[in-house]
Amino acid sequence: MTAAASAARGLPAILAAIRPRPRGRELMLLGAVAAALLVGSLSLGTTLAARPVLDTGSVPETVEPALADGRALATYLVALLAVHLAFVVTGRRTDEVLLPVVGLLGGLGLLLMQRLPQGLVTQSFAGLELGLGQVQLVWLLLALGVVGTLGIVVRSDRWLRLYKYTWAAAGIALLLLTFVFGREVNGQRLTLEFGPVAGQPSELLKVILVVFLAGYLSENRSLLTEESTRLGPIRLPPLPYLAPMAAMWAIALGIVVVQRDLGAALLFFAVFLALLYVATGRLSYVLIGVALFLAGSAILYQLFGHVRDRVDIWLDPFVDPLGAGYQVIQALYAFGRGGLLGTGLGAGLPTVGGRMPIPAIHTDFPLAALGEELGLVGLLAILGLYLVVVERGLRIAAAAADDFRAILAAGLSLVVGVQAFIIAAGNLKLIPLTGITLPFISYGGSSLLANAVVVGLLLALSDRGVEPPPPPRPAGRLRRLVGAGR
Amino acid sequence: MDGFVLTIWLVRIAFLVLLYLVLFAVVRVLLRDLRAAARDHVALGRLVVVASPAGEPPAGMSFDLDAVTTLGRDVNNTIVIDDPFASAEHASLTYRGRSWFVEDLGSTNGTYVNGAPIDGVSPIGFGDEIQVGEVRLRLDRGRP
Repeated sequence: MTAAASAARGLPAILAAIRPRPRGRELMLLGAVAAALLVGSLSLGTTLAARPVLDTGSVPETVEPALADGRALATYLVALLAVHLAFVVTGRRTDEVLLPVVGLLGGLGLLLMQRLPQGLVTQSFAGLELGLGQVQLVWLLLALGVVGTLGIVVRSDRWLRLYKYTWAAAGIALLLLTFVFGREVNGQRLTLEFGPVAGQPSELLKVILVVFLAGYLSENRSLLTEESTRLGPIRLPPLPYLAPMAAMWAIALGIVVVQRDLGAALLFFAVFLALLYVATGRLSYVLIGVALFLAGSAILYQLFGHVRDRVDIWLDPFVDPLGAGYQVIQALYAFGRGGLLGTGLGAGLPTVGGRMPIPAIHTDFPLAALGEELGLVGLLAILGLYLVVVERGLRIAAAAADDFRAILAAGLSLVVGVQAFIIAAGNLKLIPLTGITLPFISYGGSSLLANAVVVGLLLALSDRGVEPPPPPRPAGRLRRLVGAGR
Repeated sequence: MDGFVLTIWLVRIAFLVLLYLVLFAVVRVLLRDLRAAARDHVALGRLVVVASPAGEPPAGMSFDLDAVTTLGRDVNNTIVIDDPFASAEHASLTYRGRSWFVEDLGSTNGTYVNGAPIDGVSPIGFGDEIQVGEVRLRLDRGRP
């Protein structure tokens, strides 16, 4: 103990100020998550080990318990524990529920990627040939690193608050770069390549969008609730402040037309409307926004073939069951095969006639795979986990010290929730299918890292011991004109 | 029933049960958190003194606010501002519906919000700064 004390005295002042703070709830929840994932891996591994016998139509005599790639799961669980310990050691009073919940979602994703054919994605790295499960593990570890770093290091929101227009400019630049230099994959221009690194900027863009909206809406909140413009029975805020709304609408339409990315456009516009409602509390804006959205959708449906294709597939996929409607129909069958309790991990149908029933199962349809193997009961648990993420975000928003942090926290959690809803509803043929990822579960580096940034920022925002927000600056041009005497 | 099928089935169900156990543990934590938040009395807002040249009230002091708060030099005000440039009955802060409003009560030197003088009743938000005389006060959310 004396050695520890003298070591503490020898440390620089900044480290001496750090006091470890136990996080009992987080540890308890992480333990439950680890137990669940271990049993899941046991279920998957045993089924996969018996697969050769099962495929011949007979049932194996003995049970050989096995974990599915136990080393990968162990690495993941140790990484989760390491992030927890890092939070304990640095002693910040951040949220204790988010890490276990997101950890469980990521772990389910890892199990799913280990279960799918490993040849779906291969990467060779430093002479090692990595399959789908291992690549996903690497991305998950990087994502946990991002969560830990942001949750520990970010102690101020100035770098987000003060540079909101810079962030917006960076986001638009990123978008334009993708428009011009993006590589087309499956008819969608989403992927941007810098030398060996390829990524999907729209994932990062959603974070930037929330940061900008939080800055803009918190600064102009009172102006947006004023009703200075009257248009017949409709009362509108001062017209200059409606410009961002129109701009957002135009950007969303631009993404649909140029990138052909319906999912991102829908996500951005939905989050924008939700935040507008959070900031102003006025339903009329949301109604105007929805009307704009419907009008835009109707026009796009008339003008662009790819939009029309998506909607037609949604309305009746059975028109072309082996072509355009193939994925959607196979996903529906997968949910049907799953039934209430599912077929069990590893026991779903891997291939139909030698090819994958759903080609994009690891990115766009992980929910269909999970629905087949875990059933309705498992799916409801997963959707419940997303609800928990949203609830935590809204709680953090309600407890935030000022408008900027409140809108930022609400926006970050809603981005995750809305994205999960859009892709889940698309998989279930509730709305037209739009190709975006299921947060934390889908395969993909950009998606995992961007959602890790979201979780890291939420953790940082939830810290009650953090510095108070800076004093407000005079808001908006109109208010400065009114207060010209200063 | 076959040993293999039964074992696999049990492991499968155990996995689903554990998923729900995690979910229930999480929901219990959330409920406890929400109940604790509901028990705590939260003031509608508070005023934090940002700058006070005359020293009364001292800078850094914080007042929990009721729905109606008056500010001024007179001792009968909710918050007494002993500043040479403040009027006896200077300004009032009221909470109506779901937001705060500030009104100048005909003071000699006027009331300012974020540096701009106000006339009549004007809405203010959390984080805004009110200036009465030479005393500047910031409206913050109430702390539990």
